[in-house]
Amino acid sequence: MQKYEKLEKIGEGTYGTVFKAKNKETHEIVALKRVRLDDDDEGVPSSALREICLLKELKHKNIVRLYDVLHSEKKLTLVFEHCDQDLKKYFDSLNGEIDLDVVKSFMYQLLRGLAFCHSHNVLHRDLKPQNLLINKNGELKLADFGLARAFGIPVKCYSAEVVTLWYRPPDVLFGAKLYTTSIDMWSAGCIFAELANSGRPLFPGSDVDDQLKRIFKLLGTPNEDTWPGVTQLPDYKPLPVYQPSLGLAQVVPRLPARGRDLLARLLTCNPALRMPADDAMAHAYFHDLNPSVKNDRC
Amino acid sequence: MAPTRLASKPIGVNENLNGILYHGITTRSKQLATLKTHKDCLKVPNKRKADSPLKDLTAKRAAFGDITNAINKSSATHDKEKVMAVKKVTVETKLLPTLKSIKQQTTAVNGKSSKAKTLQRVATNAIESVHKHFTREPLKPVATRAQNGILKNIDRKPVGKENQNNSQSSGKSGKSDVSGDPSLYMTALENISPSDSTKEECKTISEKLNKVNLDDTINRSLDEETESPHKVPSGVPDFDLENWNDPFQVSNYAMDIFNYLKSRERLFPIDDYLTRMSGITSWMRALLVDWMVEVQESFELNHETLYLAVKLVDLFLTRSTKTQSQKEHLTKEELQLLGASALFIASKFDERIPPLVDDFLYICDGAYTLSQLLKMEMNILRVVDFDLGIPLSYRFLRRYARCARVSMPTLTLARFVLEQCLLDYALVQHSDSKMAAAALYLALRMKAIGGWSPTLQYYTGYSLKDILPIVLAQNATLHKKPKSAISTVRNKYSHTIFFEVAKVPLLEDSALSS
Repeated sequence: MQKYEKLEKIGEGTYGTVFKAKNKETHEIVALKRVRLDDDDEGVPSSALREICLLKELKHKNIVRLYDVLHSEKKLTLVFEHCDQDLKKYFDSLNGEIDLDVVKSFMYQLLRGLAFCHSHNVLHRDLKPQNLLINKNGELKLADFGLARAFGIPVKCYSAEVVTLWYRPPDVLFGAKLYTTSIDMWSAGCIFAELANSGRPLFPGSDVDDQLKRIFKLLGTPNEDTWPGVTQLPDYKPLPVYQPSLGLAQVVPRLPARGRDLLARLLTCNPALRMPADDAMAHAYFHDLNPSVKNDRC
Repeated sequence: MAPTRLASKPIGVNENLNGILYHGITTRSKQLATLKTHKDCLKVPNKRKADSPLKDLTAKRAAFGDITNAINKSSATHDKEKVMAVKKVTVETKLLPTLKSIKQQTTAVNGKSSKAKTLQRVATNAIESVHKHFTREPLKPVATRAQNGILKNIDRKPVGKENQNNSQSSGKSGKSDVSGDPSLYMTALENISPSDSTKEECKTISEKLNKVNLDDTINRSLDEETESPHKVPSGVPDFDLENWNDPFQVSNYAMDIFNYLKSRERLFPIDDYLTRMSGITSWMRALLVDWMVEVQESFELNHETLYLAVKLVDLFLTRSTKTQSQKEHLTKEELQLLGASALFIASKFDERIPPLVDDFLYICDGAYTLSQLLKMEMNILRVVDFDLGIPLSYRFLRRYARCARVSMPTLTLARFVLEQCLLDYALVQHSDSKMAAAALYLALRMKAIGGWSPTLQYYTGYSLKDILPIVLAQNATLHKKPKSAISTVRNKYSHTIFFEVAKVPLLEDSALSS
């Protein structure tokens, strides 16, 4: 712990306090996440255990780097690369409208980080602007893997209580416990729309029902024809039948047609038809992406 | 775990076997032996309760009283106990009272923060279901899904976000499983057929098992617009393309993921670590792993959890004996602590609702303290450098069996081979993907339904020549004379729910080489 000098508190993660700190030798700025280990507790919290294990494996430019884990009797300290802000704060700091090239760049980086997770056996399960970090170079990184998990193939049943409400896909809202990489793709779609609208959330529901209604008002209420099996989901309930509204053009007016097409493919209620991350990266919307973003490999 | 362990085994033998580890491993059979001397099995939880650090809390719980009451009150309790006792000796079954006592204890421990009323209702239901269960199905283990599902969920302290919300699902599974319970073994049979796993949710597992589709060949309509990125040699069916529209096969990433997992195998080498240790033998390791399988069964843990935990044990011993002086090496007294802590860690990594730390202390019969367990947890994590993404033979086998479209009984036979081999120290050094491929080949040959096809060669990346030495080593393990002290796997897979695959006749080596 002596290696780092704490500078300021940044926030609270899923399971611990996060500090900005400086490496006393190298003067490198890092983020420290502290996990308390109480004697009468369950040892290392499973969320911390998973975050550490998964991030140790996932080394990629678009995923926050875990440098080190320091352990002492009473606590674990996770040493992360430091990023200047998260996407939420970035939105708040915007004066006026976001640059559409930035939207494209951030979205591409988000998809690239996700494709890396998914092809390495990991579901994030809590994508939202607060968990996407942005640094001065305009790089975007997935962070907070406290809800993430490795998945088997074929997938097995996992917890249905995942993903922050506004970014939770309709299948999980209906209680699905059998889900796969598509769970993160819905969140990515929500974030895409939020980016295009300079930080205005797409579906800011107040509870599960309200969330579903907001989704179906835009996309139409699914039925057995559009989504075979939907009525068999554990928490399925019949909701008012909305017809698909006029379209995304009104919802994301600034997004060009190709962008709206990609958005529609991500915001697909039926998880089987939702576009995976690697396909999304190849979508026509990104054809004119700044090559420096595209070629920026890990 | 069959009664043979107790009833038909001379006590002296038992003592000899377990005596090796006298303070090391507390097997459930040992616990049962203790129970027997107490004559009244049902009192044991109370005795145990007195030892519990939560004594005061739990003792006050009306609900806990109700569990015992429920047992005592339910119709003709005394007679039933006798009946059960008789069955215990005459029928191939699990150690009923021991499991029951574990479950009850679990309730008491978990109940510390629970609402007494809920607990009371739930606990009573659970006990009733156990009784129903026995009057109908004396052959099945006692820890029914219903019991486990309910008891495990009583207001347990959230360990991670995952754990906060499963009461619903488990409640449901509980209900649906009271009647029959092939679901007991859901952890092993979770993926019966592609159609089942895609269309159904956990709550209908018992229904699922009734609809077991023994023929995995379900053809799906191909989406002509999609293309699989990996080139499959001619003559080999493209499994991922055929399943492209089944999202639960994660077809678009499956090949990448398994190539990735294979590439990581070299990061976790396990060597002949016992040669560096004094005091621990391969026999002790076998006893430990056998006990870990018992724990996996009674807590209904995922098989991935079991395989990961065994890996952690081997990896810990491989690495720690390299860096530490012999004085610091793990002693045989600590071997069970290592096993329990490894299961504790693996559960937190893989389970939706991991058992609580108290559950792990309990299954060691109080041999270790909380602080010892937590210290060992940290010790293991440090030695494996917090990397739990270890490729597991069980995962490879799921994939290979799918790609080869083998039937459930054949896959189960391959799982039996793998699990039996978990106990054999002679096999710890082999690659997990090769172990999986070899076990599948062995199962195919034992069932006389095929050999090493181009499909298997393509999806595993191994030729028969690559895996043959491991096949023969696995076959040697199967041919070893069954020992009653390590019979858990054999008994588990002798069950009808596992298609009694442990009874499939063995082959001579000569039948395997071509």
